[in-house]
Amino acid sequence: MSTLTDIATIARWEVKKSFSMMSRDVLPLSIILFVLLMIVTGFTAQTGLHLQDGMYQVGVDDPQIAQLLAGDARFSVYLLDAPILNANRNSFDLIIIQGIVYSSATDKANSAQKTLERDYSKYVNSIYNTENDLFAAYPLWIDTQSVKSELTFLATQSGQYISAAPRRIAPVPEGEIKTVPTPSPALAISPEDLRSELVQSNAKNTQISRYTEALSTSSSMGTFKTPAQLSPPLPFDSIILVFVFIFPLYFTSQFFMMSIMNERIERKGEILLSTPLRTSSIIIGKALPYFIGMVAICSGITVYIKASPVIILPLIPVIFFFLANALLIGMLSRSFKELSFISIFFSTVATSYLFFPSIFANVHVISLISPLTLIVLTIQGSAWTITDYLYSTSLFWLTGAVLFYIAARNFKDERLFSEKKLVSRMREFLSEILPQKYPFLSLFLLSGFAIPFVFMVQMMCLVLFFNLPMPYSLVFLLLFAALIEEIAKGVGIYTIYSRDPAFLSWKNLVMACAATAIGFLVGEKLLLFVTLAQISDSVFGSILFLSLGSLWLPLLLHFVCVLIVCCSLKIWGRKGFVPGLAIAMVVHCLYNLYFILGWIG
Amino acid sequence: MKIKHLSIIAKKEFKGLFNEKTILLAVLLQLFIALFSSFLMVGLTSMYDPSSLSKYSHSRYSIAYAGNESPLLTSLEASSDFHVYKMDLSTAVAALKERKLAAVIYVPDTLPDAPDPIKITLYTLQNDLQAAIVDVKLKDIFLKYEQGLREIRADRLKEELIGIQIPKSGGGGDFYEFVYGLLIPLLVFMPAIIASALVIDLITEEYQHETLETLISTPITFVEMVWGKVIACELLVPIQAGAWLVLLMINGIAIQNSGLILLQVIVTSLILILLGTLTALHYRERTAAQFIFSTALVVVILFALALPSNPLNLLTRLAVGTAAGEQWLVLGITLAIVILLSYITQRYAEKIGKSHHTG
Repeated sequence: MSTLTDIATIARWEVKKSFSMMSRDVLPLSIILFVLLMIVTGFTAQTGLHLQDGMYQVGVDDPQIAQLLAGDARFSVYLLDAPILNANRNSFDLIIIQGIVYSSATDKANSAQKTLERDYSKYVNSIYNTENDLFAAYPLWIDTQSVKSELTFLATQSGQYISAAPRRIAPVPEGEIKTVPTPSPALAISPEDLRSELVQSNAKNTQISRYTEALSTSSSMGTFKTPAQLSPPLPFDSIILVFVFIFPLYFTSQFFMMSIMNERIERKGEILLSTPLRTSSIIIGKALPYFIGMVAICSGITVYIKASPVIILPLIPVIFFFLANALLIGMLSRSFKELSFISIFFSTVATSYLFFPSIFANVHVISLISPLTLIVLTIQGSAWTITDYLYSTSLFWLTGAVLFYIAARNFKDERLFSEKKLVSRMREFLSEILPQKYPFLSLFLLSGFAIPFVFMVQMMCLVLFFNLPMPYSLVFLLLFAALIEEIAKGVGIYTIYSRDPAFLSWKNLVMACAATAIGFLVGEKLLLFVTLAQISDSVFGSILFLSLGSLWLPLLLHFVCVLIVCCSLKIWGRKGFVPGLAIAMVVHCLYNLYFILGWIG
Repeated sequence: MKIKHLSIIAKKEFKGLFNEKTILLAVLLQLFIALFSSFLMVGLTSMYDPSSLSKYSHSRYSIAYAGNESPLLTSLEASSDFHVYKMDLSTAVAALKERKLAAVIYVPDTLPDAPDPIKITLYTLQNDLQAAIVDVKLKDIFLKYEQGLREIRADRLKEELIGIQIPKSGGGGDFYEFVYGLLIPLLVFMPAIIASALVIDLITEEYQHETLETLISTPITFVEMVWGKVIACELLVPIQAGAWLVLLMINGIAIQNSGLILLQVIVTSLILILLGTLTALHYRERTAAQFIFSTALVVVILFALALPSNPLNLLTRLAVGTAAGEQWLVLGITLAIVILLSYITQRYAEKIGKSHHTG
């Protein structure tokens, strides 16, 4: 009970402090800026964004067509006579003579032609939409039905094609055949509804609304589309989600970072630490106002875009993760510029982790590793399950918790006010959670808890390399996955060694390696069983996480690799760490090649 | 103001950046984003232009055709992308679920010149990258069919269209607009934003770490200190922006007029850096200064984007080589703003400097 009151007190202090700091004509100016922002947004919405103006140069001989093209600011249109156009062909990307388009063979001209195609079809549609006989203008409608396949992830991941190579006889399904009702030939929607929908979707294709579209609810046309509308949804849609949801979170976590940093600079933290309050209450109390603020901002946005409140659920682990990182960054950096750069770096990496998979939201299961995908799905009105939730957020919960723990253990005088270099400070932070009394137990726990971080980084690699053609993606993944694992395993022993080189006697060395290897294996298996079964069974997964099957082989591998790193540490000292890692990586890769893929021998 | 003093301050800040290895982080960040955007390109290209990846272009997809005969069947059979089987609908959907087919098409018996539209049902696999590719390939064939139907029903249409005949595009150029019209201006301009945030850090740091008094007790004046920091940040801009240009070119993106692009970025970034300096001098505390500055930055950039021929648009046009004489006009206006801001900064710094030296 008293812990709760402590937390509440600290939280109140924190709020009061940030408000007193903000009072110095920050509030009036920020209100002015906010009003200005509103005005400028209105202005921009009216005039449009002029980023791509005048990219293409088009020569036309017909004033009517010139007028049509002038509606798109991307074109610089020149109205000239046909002979002049012909003579100066090379100074234009496109020329249009008597209604026929001629383009040069450059990328730019191709792009200009595609823009022209889109503009023209928009013009054509705007005419067709006013036709009395709508079905003469749009004679073909396609009802898109998606069918769920039982094999999705496995099949595409292992490099199989969507279907076997075509044969002369039609394929025969192996399972039972469920009767599919013959689709009715009539459209279920009245022509007038269709017309208004068409008018709307035609108007939508502007620069800005292309992005805001992502936030509006799906159209009433349901699964019916004209052929022109049949294409995968624009992946840029989720960029807007990043800006709308993640950007404010990043912004607020900056304040948290600064609050921690300020305590260190102004040495106010010392007073807090000298009180009988527990460090955990201090940290929770300081983080609480920011947490509440972030949730409030997200709820506000959710209400504003009229989305379902379920959106908040996947955002909470993201908030938790951001706060944990902000705390640690605020504690680690020595100067403001260091704070700026580390936080920009962190936010870029985190944003890419969140953003990149989500652009495949409707296309591939891999997108589910980002909580943002759940938001995309919710906005689209598709359902997701608790398993999906666990799958995409568990890593955020786990890493956030571990980071908070590390920060809490280090939240004390000598860490907060030291002026050492970044890397040695990180090592000190780690060293703090490795008590000297129980070196082996702590190594075991450390390597176990390193697993969520390893998975997170490996997921990032999976996402990055997923786009390369098949053999390359596997090769890169193989190398990086091994390297990341070896670093995670080696870092604990490296920390202990730099603290106390005498600790690594040969006996202790073997013991330490064993503790690390077992810890790593246990952590790996635990997390796999809980969440990642979906990915872990594919070829990619087998490289990343080793198979779930036999236990002694992976254990031996982990042990040997850590042993290599340890020995090179012992023999060559701290400069032996990197070569040791390199050798261990090679061994790890060879193991993967031999046992999992069976490529050697 | 002595040049020597300015360079002392600028050197001091550079040393600080190198000592803390923060500059390394910045380079790492840049590489990371470059890597990421090139992967992004590969991913997107393979999604929208499947034939760009040779792996996909050679494969023929098996699809099933159910229902009534139509010209669609003929064009599907003629296509080199598909192998068509005439099948019963239920059997075909079952085979689709087992991934033995890529798509199933059902066509009703509506006549081509009927008053009602023809409603085709298309079954594809959910959540699958290759299903999306099949969709893209089918779209072309559907469009051709739609065009044929429109011609049959043409006498029922009233309006005349302005005719433009567009030849079949040669492929490629899908992401030209994304790369040149969004990626390049944003990436090249990013160093300016980073530099302006950095100048706030450098100035507020002197106040909050209480190192200011030591610094101005040396022969260096307060005004010189401010300008030294501005110069240090400004020097970072061409280095980083130049690195972007090189990275983009290594990625195979041809950029024209890179010298002029750098010139524009250098001048425009001074506006942001001076704005940052003024904010920092006013608040002398990082949280408040950064908060106000970043809000102001959004306002300024949004406003600039709403203007035709703004500096960011100019970066795009320089990169694609369509910028004409107006670039010098824009540069002139930008320079005038810079001079105005420099004057204000100078006066403001003098005023604050006086109070520091006396008090």
